[in-house]
Order: sequence, then structure tokens, then C-alpha cells
Amino acid sequence: MEIISNAANGFIKLFQEGGTTFMGWVTGIIPLVVCLMTAVNSVIKLIGEERVERFAQKLTRFAVLRYTLLPIIAVLFLGNPMCYTFGRFVDEKYKPAYYDSCVSFVHPVTGLFPHANPGELFVYTGISAGITKLGLSIGGLAVRYFIVGVIVILIRGLLTEQIYFRMTGKASK
Amino acid sequence: MYKTITIKAGDGGWGGPLTITATEKCHKILSVTGGGIHPVAQKIADMTGGEALDGFKTTAPDEEVLVAVVDCGGTARCGVYPKKGIFTVNLMPVGQAGPLAQFITPEIYVSAVTEKNIFESDYKGDAASTKPAAADEPKSKDRAKEEIAAANSGKKEGIIVKIGKGVGNVVSKFFQAGRETIEMIIKNVLPFMAFTSTLLGIISASGLGNVIAKTISPLCSTLPGMLGISFVCALPFLSPILGPGAVIAQVVGTLLGAQFALGNIPPQYALPALFAIDAQVGADFVPVGLSLGESEPQTIEMGVPAVLFSRIVTGPLAVLIAFAFSIGMY
Repeated sequence: MEIISNAANGFIKLFQEGGTTFMGWVTGIIPLVVCLMTAVNSVIKLIGEERVERFAQKLTRFAVLRYTLLPIIAVLFLGNPMCYTFGRFVDEKYKPAYYDSCVSFVHPVTGLFPHANPGELFVYTGISAGITKLGLSIGGLAVRYFIVGVIVILIRGLLTEQIYFRMTGKASK
Repeated sequence: MYKTITIKAGDGGWGGPLTITATEKCHKILSVTGGGIHPVAQKIADMTGGEALDGFKTTAPDEEVLVAVVDCGGTARCGVYPKKGIFTVNLMPVGQAGPLAQFITPEIYVSAVTEKNIFESDYKGDAASTKPAAADEPKSKDRAKEEIAAANSGKKEGIIVKIGKGVGNVVSKFFQAGRETIEMIIKNVLPFMAFTSTLLGIISASGLGNVIAKTISPLCSTLPGMLGISFVCALPFLSPILGPGAVIAQVVGTLLGAQFALGNIPPQYALPALFAIDAQVGADFVPVGLSLGESEPQTIEMGVPAVLFSRIVTGPLAVLIAFAFSIGMY
């Protein structure tokens, strides 16, 4: 009898642990995300997609902006996965590099702006929740994640552009 | 000779049944399933008399694509094709999910499909032989407003009416934003939390957590260890498999978070770790992302390997940069 009740206790315990974690996330993460997402979504609606598109179109001419500001704006305003549609503003030969740069930003953005990729929050939130448990502030982590993200997408954009040029150069011979 | 087939939802699936007929102009079956032509795509092609394509190598103009076969866990791909008005067959048991959930309807989408769920169909209605028009959005508020505005045009507006309208406009946008947010939380954030917290609970209560702590923590507490992880994640034959829905990155992120919380990994490694586990980001999605950007088929053909190869270098490089930037934090 004791064995059975021990086994039952052990079984329930497996899920109690999960329940505690779930409750912690719901009360700790969701309220902030809800308010932040609502605020940013409203700003986006007030500005309007057309205005953003017009602005984005002007950014594509300069390599540095093409792989920093353009993907940032696309991700902030359209979110994942619609941000890739801004690829239509860049020249055909830059499209793979633009995609690489854009997609690499959909996680660094979530530290500060979770609205942009709500389906994939836990890459960042998973780790930051651990940092919070240590009693440390995660503001610095979110800002640095964002900044490093910008640097990384610029490098990815420029490098993928070069690799693509090499490959197509070879292919056309 | 083109034939009509019916595709039904499989066990635990959603949507459908779809009755599909290939035509001269529209007979391509696009398999966007992480490289290669999936047997389901091949079977649809064989039965309809259409042509199966590997979405990772080539692509076709949207109007030639009859069916897109995807294996999407519920974030992006499952909504992209319905939005374009292309019949979508998902191999995963996913219903209306993801940011594009509104476009996923039973008339255009069916999920959890296996080879057993594809039947020959005797039905030869006109409705089935033509592609559905790109998902019709229900009459939006804006359009209703426009119609009212058109009806009212000619009447002069007082300043109070104008202010009232302006405020109403702003408030309704805020309200809509709130509605979308809550929908997102319910459809995307909470299900993921439920799944990971259950998983995490089992892992930690069963003692499996200690095993993971002993294997992952030492790797993530050193720079070479993290460089190694990012390099492995970026390998071109692995990255498209690790990518979908960022599920693996998210689960690993959560597991690492638990190790940070226990003090097994020093907190200053949080930043490089974020990049180490994410070198594969979007590697599964290159052809879809490029076609969303209206790329030519040739661009996609060469663009996919270009992005994948670039990651071998930029994956570990990102960890190095993040490592440099983490100095002085905590």
C-alpha cells in the first residue's frame, strides 16, 4: 500500500513542479508582456504601415542601413514572419543577405519588444528568467542583447552578401 | 491527365477536407519540409498528375503552386501559404495558430496529413478545380468606416465632430491593439508556457535535471564550449532541422535559464549563451522568407546555401561579439 501511495505522490510531484513554474511565468512574464505589446501595437497602428513602407524604401540604398535600420524597422513594425516581406524593397541580389539579417534579429528584439515575435519569446525569456531568479536586473541584458543583435545582423548581412556574390559569380560562368 | 483528389485531416489534425484538382497552369506541389521532397508531397503529385518541387532548392511563382506541403509546428509557415491563397497541407497536427492564424481556414488548410489521408475523389465540381481567391478578409472596420465616410461626404463637419472622430479613431486603435495582444498571448505564448513548464517540471522532479546540469553547464560556462555549440548549431545539414519554430532554441534557453538560476553557470555568460543556442535561427525558413520578399526562383536556389554557409562563420562570431559585450555586466 505504501509503495503505491509513494508512487502516486511521486507522479503528482512531477506535475506540481511544472505547475509552480507555469504559475511563475504567468504572473511574472505575461502582465509586462501584455502591456508592452498593447502599447507598441497601438503605436504601430497609429503610425500606419504605409508610412513605414515609404520610409523603408528609402533605406535600401546604403549597405549599412540595409542590414541595420531596414530589418529593425521591419521586425518592429511587422514582426515575425511578415518582416521578410520588406525584402521586396531591396535589389534582387541583396535579398538573401537581407533575409539573413532580418531573421537574425527576431530574437534579439524580444528582450525589449516582445510584441515582434510573441511565438518565440522563450529563447530570451528562458534565460532571462533564470537571471531574474538570481535577483539580478535584466534591463542591462535586454539592452545588450539588442545592441549585439544589431552588430550581428550587420555582419551577417555583409558576409552573406559576399558569399552570395561569389556563388552566383561561379554559377554564371 | 490531371485527377481530382481529396485530402483529409489525420489523427489530431484540423481543417479540410480539401478537394483539389490540378490544372495545366497550376499543378506544382511545393514541399517546404526542411529539404527534399516529402513522401506526402510526392503522393499528392503522383495522384493529381502534378509535379512535386523541393521548396528548399527551387520555387515556383505563386499562381503555379497548387498545394504547399509544410511541416510547421505552428509559428510561421502554416500561415504564410494560406495567406497567399495556396492550399496548405501541414504534416504536423496544428490548427489555427501563429501570427497569421486568421488566414488558416478549413477551406484552404488541413493538418496532421499522412499518405493514408489522401484519396482519389469522384467529385468534379467547378468550385474545386479553381483555386480559392486569396483569403477574403471579412469586412474590416476601416472599410465600414470608409463607406460611412463616403455616405456622409458632402456634409460639412463641425470641429467638435472632428475631434470626436479623432479621439474615437485613436481609442479604437488602442482597443484593437489590446485585442490582438490578448489573442497572441492565448494562441502563442500560453501554449508554449504550458508545454515547457510541464517538460521542465518533469525534468527537474525526475532528477534528469542534474544530468543536464552536469553536461550542459560546463559547456556553457566557458567560451570555447559556447563557440562549439554555436558551430554545431550552424552546420548546414543540421541548422534547417534545428530551426523550426525556434522550439529547440526555446527549450534549450529555458533549460539554461534553470541552470543560471541554480548558479551552475555564471550570469555574465547569459549574453553569449543567447547567441550560442541560436546560430541556426531561421535556417529552416530561408526559402519561405525569400519568397515573402518576392525573390526570383534563381535567387532562392543560390540564396539558401549562401545563408547556411554564412552561418558557420557568423554563428561563432556572434558568440565572440556577445562575449566581449558581456564584460562588465553583473
